[in-house]
Parts: sequence; C-alpha cells; structure tokens
Amino acid sequence: MGSGEKPTPSPLPTPHSPLPILMGIVIVGTSHKTAPIEVRERLAFAESRLAGALRDLVDREMISEGLIVSTCNRVELIAATPKGAHAPENAVSRLYDFLSRFHQYDLSPMRKHLYDLAGPAAIKHVFRVTSSLDSMVVGEPQITGQIKEAFHRAQEAAVVGHELTRLMNRAFAVAKRVRNETGIGSSAVSISFVAVELARKVFEDLKGSAVMLLGAGEMAELAAKHLLNYGASRLLIVNRTFENAVALAGELNGEPVRFEEFEKRLPEAEILICSTGAQDYLIHPDQVRRALERRRNRPMLLVDISVPRNIDPAIGRLDNAFLFDVDDLESIAEANRAERKREALRAEEIIEAEAEQFFRALAEGDLNAVIGAFRQQVYEMAFSEFERSRKRLGDLSEDQERALQVMINAIVNKFTHPVIKQLRESEERVVCGVKARLPPDRIRPLHPPLPAN
Amino acid sequence: MVILLVIALTLYLAGAFYSIYTFATKSKRPDRDLKLIIGLGFAAHTAAIVAAWQEAGHFPVVSPKEVSSFIGWAIAGYYLAVSRRYNTRALPAFLLPLVYLFMFVSLLLPARAEAVPRMLESAISASPLTQIIFPVHVTLVIASYAAFAVTFVCGMMYLIQERELKAKRLGANSERLPALNTCDEIGYRSVTIGFVLLTLGVATGIFWNNQRDGRYWHNDPKEVMALITWIVYLFPIHYRVTAGWRGRRAAWMSIAGFAVVILTWLGARALGGYHVFG
Repeated sequence: MGSGEKPTPSPLPTPHSPLPILMGIVIVGTSHKTAPIEVRERLAFAESRLAGALRDLVDREMISEGLIVSTCNRVELIAATPKGAHAPENAVSRLYDFLSRFHQYDLSPMRKHLYDLAGPAAIKHVFRVTSSLDSMVVGEPQITGQIKEAFHRAQEAAVVGHELTRLMNRAFAVAKRVRNETGIGSSAVSISFVAVELARKVFEDLKGSAVMLLGAGEMAELAAKHLLNYGASRLLIVNRTFENAVALAGELNGEPVRFEEFEKRLPEAEILICSTGAQDYLIHPDQVRRALERRRNRPMLLVDISVPRNIDPAIGRLDNAFLFDVDDLESIAEANRAERKREALRAEEIIEAEAEQFFRALAEGDLNAVIGAFRQQVYEMAFSEFERSRKRLGDLSEDQERALQVMINAIVNKFTHPVIKQLRESEERVVCGVKARLPPDRIRPLHPPLPAN
Repeated sequence: MVILLVIALTLYLAGAFYSIYTFATKSKRPDRDLKLIIGLGFAAHTAAIVAAWQEAGHFPVVSPKEVSSFIGWAIAGYYLAVSRRYNTRALPAFLLPLVYLFMFVSLLLPARAEAVPRMLESAISASPLTQIIFPVHVTLVIASYAAFAVTFVCGMMYLIQERELKAKRLGANSERLPALNTCDEIGYRSVTIGFVLLTLGVATGIFWNNQRDGRYWHNDPKEVMALITWIVYLFPIHYRVTAGWRGRRAAWMSIAGFAVVILTWLGARALGGYHVFG
C-alpha cells in the first residue's frame, strides 16, 4: 500500500533528537553566591544595551529564545534551544561565548564564578531564583519583579516564544504559591521594616494614621518612608533645628513641626519614631500619659532608634502605649530571620515538586505530540487509499459511504492501538534525576514504506 | 429533622477543624470556603429549627436541649455576619468549636417528655400578643448572648496579642491573631449590638410580665441576673463613650461580662423561679 505515492512531509519530530524539548532550557549565570562584586559588575548588562544584547543572544540557530536577568546580585542568561537540534553542551558554550564576546572579557579564568545548567536542573534554578530562594535576603520580593521586567524586555525585543513563555509563566505562578503558602516573605528582617510590622500588629491598617518623626537619621527616615508606603497618611517632622525639619519635610513630603510644639502635637500621632543624638531621655511618661488621655486612649506605637535611648522605658508600662527600642527591633528581626530559614525549607519542597511536575508535563506533551502525529499520518494514508478506490466503486448510497468511513476509522484505530498503547505504557525513565515517560529516542519514519514486520 | 441537625453538626465540625487548621498553619488565604461550609451548616440548622417549630407547635427554645442548639445557631449566624466585614482567621478558630460544642451538647441532652412546662404554656397563651412575644423575647436574649460570646473571644485575643507586644515578641501567636485595633473594634461593636439586643430582650420580658399578670417585675432569679448582666455591660460602654476606656480594660470587662452571662444562663436555672426552662 502506498507504493506509488509521493511521500507527504512528515509531521513527526526530527528523528534524531535524543531528548526533544526537555533539554531545551539552558542557563549560564553568576550570582552573589558564586562571584564577588568585581566579577558581577563586569558581566552586568546596562539597561540601555539590553535590547541589543537580547537580539545578539538569540541567533535562531543554537539559541531560539532568550532572556537576560541582570541585577546587582546576579546575571542570568536563560535560553531555549530549537527542538532537538543540538546537544545542550553546544548551547551552553554558545552562551559563554556570547557573554565573553559581548563584554569583551576573557571568561576562562572566571569559570569558577559562573555556573551553567540544562534541563530539569535549569527549570528548578529558574523556579528557585524567581521565588527568591536564591536571594541574598531570602524571601525579599524584589527579585520576582525584576525577573518579570526582564521577561517583558525580552518580549518587547521579540526574542521569547512558546518555550520560555511557558517556563516563565509557571515560574511566576510558583513564586506566588511560595509566597502564599509559606511565611518566607511575611515577616520583616530589617529594623526599619520591623517598625511597619509592629504598626500593623497594633493598628492593622495604617490608613489615616499619622507618623511623627523626632530627630533624623537614616534608619528613622527609612522606617518613616516604609510606613508611608504602607498607608500612613501624614508625617510630622520635629527637630530642634527647625530648618532641618523643614528640609527633611520637603524631602519626605511631611509637615515640619517646631520642637516647642512637640508635646502639643504628640496626641495627633499614632506612631512616634525617635532618633536624636540627645544623651538623655527626651520623652517622659507624663507627656505620653497626657497624650494618651487626649487621644482617648487610642493606642500609640513608640519606636526609639536612638542610642543612648531618648524615650523613658517606663513609658512601655503605660496601658495602650507600645514602646520598642533598637535592641527590641533587632531581636524581632533576628527571630524573623530564623523563621524565614525554616520557611525556606518548606519552599524548597514546593519548588522540588513543581519542577518535577513541569518536567513531566513537558515530557507528556512530547509523547502526546508524537502519538497524535502518528495517528494522523496513518489515517491520511488510509483515506487517500479509500479516495483512489472510491472512483472505481461507482455510485454509492449515503449509507454505504458512511459505512466505508466508519470502516476506515475502525481499521486505523485497530492498527494504531497496539503501538499507541506501547508508547503510553513505556516505562518511565529517569532523566537528570527526574522520572518521566518520554517518547522513544528514535522514531522511525512510517512512510514510506510502512515497515512490513 | 434529626438528619438536618446531623448535617449541620457535620458541617460545623468540618468548619471548626478547617478554621483551627488554617489558624495553626497561619494561612493567609481568604476564608471564602470556610464561609461556604458554615453558611450551608447554618442553613441546615435553620431548617431544622423551623421543622422543630412546626413539629412541636411552639417556638423550640424551651428545653435546655433546644436552647443549647439555638445558642449555637445564633453564634454561627453572628460569625457569618462578622465575616462579611472582617477577614480574620482567628475569630472562627475560637467561635466555631464553641458552636460545635453547643450543638453537640444539644444532641446529647434528652428531649423532655413534657414538651412545654405548664407555667410557660399558660404564659404563652395569655393573649395573642404574648404568643408573638415569646419567640421575640427568647431570640433577642439569646442573640445578645452570641454577641457577648464574640466580645469575649475578642477580649481574649486582645489580651494575648497585647501581652506579646508588651513582651516585645512577635511570635507565632502574635502572627495568628488580629491586630489590637481589630480585636478592639470587633469587640466593641459586638458588645454594643449585644447590649441593644439584651435591652430589647429584657424590655419584651417586662412587657410580657405585664401582659400576663399586670406586674412588671417578679424578682425572679433570672430577671435579677439579667439586670446584673445589663449593668455589667453598661459600664464599659458608658466609660468608652465618656472616658475613652478601651484596650486592656475593655478586654477584661468583656471577659467578666461573659462570666456573668454564663451565670445568668445556667446559674439562674439552679436558683429556680419561673425561668426554669432554658
């Protein structure tokens, strides 16, 4: 059968790909864990040159899709190779070449600062980085946004396609899952953020609340900024030198308050952050008691960042006044850091499972594509045979026509079934540490001629 | 009717376990599914109460069995109302086991042979008006108990959270519990609602008394206890409005108040009087 036919172009994947698609993701990168700042800064991609770099990276021959993540802590080239065209080693060395060429920098002595990954390991790496498990401060949320941005830039440059889009969308979903299901990013690990966390423990919602900043100082200003970002609506700035208060108020969009008016204005503040160079207590229990009375006992949060302390610790014993000094903040931050480490372990489990699932889905997709193509091809052959014989059969009634159609379908199904069954039940193989059901390494073209045995 | 109660009980149990689980694991997912479970349980429970009403021919809040179930129903309903506004994982973790407990006790208690005590029967049927007043009076009073139960839970949560903050710890407990202001706000709203309901409940009781025998007050133990409860809750509300009492003091008051509620509910029964039922 089919002897005189011109062969139709085979829809099957290229027969020589040993592991189609799966090995298609390759990464070359460097991070704060493997390289000092001197190396990272040499390999960073400037914003302005990124689009050009992306076009340069994706040569369509060995690299079909790519994106570049470049932050102060890491540089990652994430790339997809054309289906089954090349072994991953070639794509990896292509990435090294690109990096070296683009930065005009000899990488050979730097190899120990760089890493390269392919296949499941690369998938897992992308998931870990996106979920902020590989970050300097584990769980910090910026990296997810930075990678999203890198992905958008690559989309704009039209150098990402189906493979990377699927991978990155999954990575963002995994990052979201990690954030929702573990406490990895929920607690503050820096002093200025602990102030925000405390404020939310007392007030829940900072909307409409006022922050009073007494004195100045980097940490205090940072805490005030965070509080404003989290919804506090007013910032009062008090300083012994009124000019300083005015200057800082201009910078932080606050309201300057004269030092003499401090006590009068204190009841307006939900949160007081104190950071001055005074050598003694500036704020006494009586002042706060009066302020609380005027506030009708609505609670106040007092944060003393100054050393020596400026807020009398006795204030901490007043009802509805919650006082924290710099040591308290630091010990909370420290406890949170320990908590994060525990949560990171849970996150790793999630990522392990997700990476494996993603990999298996890829493999399954491959297998289904192969099976679909196979079935389609056999059906087309049978149908073209039918078309040829059809002419010789003369007029057929509609019923007869339908009966023949049904017969062809039945024959195709019966013939292909044992083969498809075998493919589906083929043993799972372990590839790079992950078990998956893969299409056979080689698929012999079915047509022409159909193997006789 | 029993099958409806069993369905409600099962759903409440599922809800209680689920809320405790999410509370323990510090989940941050919204509690839509929990609201659905409790909503269905509440619907089944409501249907059971309506069925019992039809069957018994009187409002089914007479025997301790019925009252216990009705308190569970009121708390579940109150939770559903609160959860529309506040998404807190801690509140249901405390309230739902309470709902389940009341339901469970109700199922264990024997149904009384004599459905309605004779005294109550005559009190209900004194006039057409008293027939309406009975369900209204009982529903108001028990709904106020439910609101006070929520205030009590909020007071407890406030005190635990406050202690964590004063100790300068932000441990697991602190993370699980709502912010101080939220505990205070839900607690205060609930105590206000409970107070209004109790006031109306007592007022309908007095009115009923008058309808029955022309006397407003009988010094019945339950009447006296209800008056004490009313005064105990009047204090925190009054001082909140006039002197800004809130926070820790309000939390302690809500706990003391609830102890009086329990005494009123169970203790007055032991002392006799005409509120012998319920």
